[in-house]
Amino acid sequence: MFHKVLIILSSALTVASAIGVLVTKDIVRACIFLFFSLFGVAGIYASLGADFVAVTQIMVYVGGVVILMLFAVMLTGGPGKESAGSKGYLLIPMMGNKITFGFGIFSGLVLLLTMAKITKSVIASVTISEVEGFASTVERIGSLLVSEHVLAFEISSILLLGALVGAAMIARPRKNV
Amino acid sequence: MFGLAWYLGIGFVLFCTGITVMIARKSIVAILIGIELILNGAAINFVAYSKFVTQDLDGHIFPLFIIIVAAAEAAVGLAIVIRFYQIRETIHIDEATQLQS
Amino acid sequence: MNSTVANYFSEFESYQKMVDWLSGIAGFDTATLVMVVVISLMAFIVINAMMLVGGLGTYAERKISADLQARIGPNRVGPYGILQFLADGLKMTMKEDVTPAKADKVLFNLAPFLSLFGIFGTLAVLPISSGLALSHLNVGVFFLIAISSIVGIGIFLGGYASNSKWSMLGGMRGASQIVSYEIPVTLSVLSIVLLAGSLNFKVIVGGQTGMPTGWFIFHNPFSFMAFFVYSIAALAEANRAPFDLPEAESELVSGYHTEYTGMKFGIFALAEYIEVFVLASVAAAMFLGGYNVPFHLGGDGIIGQVLQLGAFVTKSLLIYYVVIWIRWTFPRLRADQLMVVCWKYLTPIAIFNLVGSAVWLYAFKGQSILQLVLHSGGSSAGGH
Repeated sequence: MFHKVLIILSSALTVASAIGVLVTKDIVRACIFLFFSLFGVAGIYASLGADFVAVTQIMVYVGGVVILMLFAVMLTGGPGKESAGSKGYLLIPMMGNKITFGFGIFSGLVLLLTMAKITKSVIASVTISEVEGFASTVERIGSLLVSEHVLAFEISSILLLGALVGAAMIARPRKNV
Repeated sequence: MFGLAWYLGIGFVLFCTGITVMIARKSIVAILIGIELILNGAAINFVAYSKFVTQDLDGHIFPLFIIIVAAAEAAVGLAIVIRFYQIRETIHIDEATQLQS
Repeated sequence: MNSTVANYFSEFESYQKMVDWLSGIAGFDTATLVMVVVISLMAFIVINAMMLVGGLGTYAERKISADLQARIGPNRVGPYGILQFLADGLKMTMKEDVTPAKADKVLFNLAPFLSLFGIFGTLAVLPISSGLALSHLNVGVFFLIAISSIVGIGIFLGGYASNSKWSMLGGMRGASQIVSYEIPVTLSVLSIVLLAGSLNFKVIVGGQTGMPTGWFIFHNPFSFMAFFVYSIAALAEANRAPFDLPEAESELVSGYHTEYTGMKFGIFALAEYIEVFVLASVAAAMFLGGYNVPFHLGGDGIIGQVLQLGAFVTKSLLIYYVVIWIRWTFPRLRADQLMVVCWKYLTPIAIFNLVGSAVWLYAFKGQSILQLVLHSGGSSAGGH
């Protein structure tokens, strides 16, 4: 019962907030909807028995990426700065029009049908097993990371260092702009 | 009811929403938000397949790397947004036309 | 490994009998239902106890500050003024709830609850005793650090949605401070996780003993340093003085909650005081032996659990006292000094501690410094 309630709640939160990101006009509200959506995704991971991934999701996305995005919104003039640009349109983060939405829905349908076609045999063959009492995944993930996936693990550290230095270099204020 | 198809469906909804956000919105930050949604939709698939199909933990490693890459991408992307704002004083995507001519 | 308070109760015979009896009446297996009820009841109790701690925290803050400044402090409501926090709370609920006209109404109302949500999330894994803790998650420490970072979003939103310059500055300071100081906190906690070999609070506390000789703070020089790094960084993460830049009253009126009135302001204050208690109790659990009672008095029964609860609360409240003491002793840092402390001093020291702990574990096979001294002394005494 617990498990099903968790699945339904986190799925509803994820999907509803993702749609909220799409329909809201305010960029800060979009960030907050993103926060709720990512939180729901963490709940989905937990319902799949992936406790370590769920907590990492909360740690990195909720505590890091969302705050980073809010900061970027604030450092680039804030959400409500309305001023006509050189080309005449309002320079606020604005929504698309009917054509873009129509295109989005159409491509979504095509993707859905394609995916359903591809995954049909896999889904049919799956045997659904119950969650085996939330066994711990931390130790096994740790040993996998330093044995089979050690190359990707080490490269990701270089990637993060490069991102850190690169972001600091790019965003550095320069006088001769 | 809550089998593989349920999770694939959620991942699919997230992916499509992300694509639509990327297409429909004109702010660069909103486009980055769309990218985050797409990455999450993909990551759900990995964990769902590892639970229902392969039953090992390799599917848990991939979301971790996706999260790492997404964090790096968000940091660099937002730095570019801030730099772009310093030059153009807007973060409207249609203003990024320097390469046209 | 994962266990909840319901797992603890289910070891008693009367619990099983009650479940069987209920199942007989209801006609279906009620084990899950009873578990849900037990956990909800315990969560209710823990949350209300924490509200009490937060309320008494405001009283303690005023009384201790009065003591340090040779004043009397609140002494009118109840004996020694101890009911002052109830009077304050009543006053706050009766105040008019003002929302600024140009504020973003939804986000303005959401912000205090987000910061309270982050704090209440941490209570789920708080190791109050070996049995009565709500849950011993096997990613406990990680979960606690992760979920408490939601407070940063609450503070940021509170600052942004108020549509006021002071609030905005306070909110951005708060968010940047919390994001930055999470790194030294996590790294110094990690060096203890290395010693214990698990992220589970039960294992971490179980690796220590009731007496100070077995505490992780005295395990090796690196964990001793990690305790102080953790304390400083946790002070900053809870926005406490001398790092209370987000609500610096001499520069920013009241920071991110300038525009909040009534109970919404009260919720921000409550969240801050509970967060101080939570971080103090994490320090107690990670470094100071947690709920371990000396000589394992009381065993594992109900009496032992109550004694463990007492030990845990005593240690946490002692650290709480030190936190308040620091607030009324040190002047506030500047915003740039704050970042310098984090990135140039605390983070390198924390990384050094982490590497040092790993090297210590490898070189001395996990023995504490006390064991090493006793061993060498014993062997030399035996040799001669």
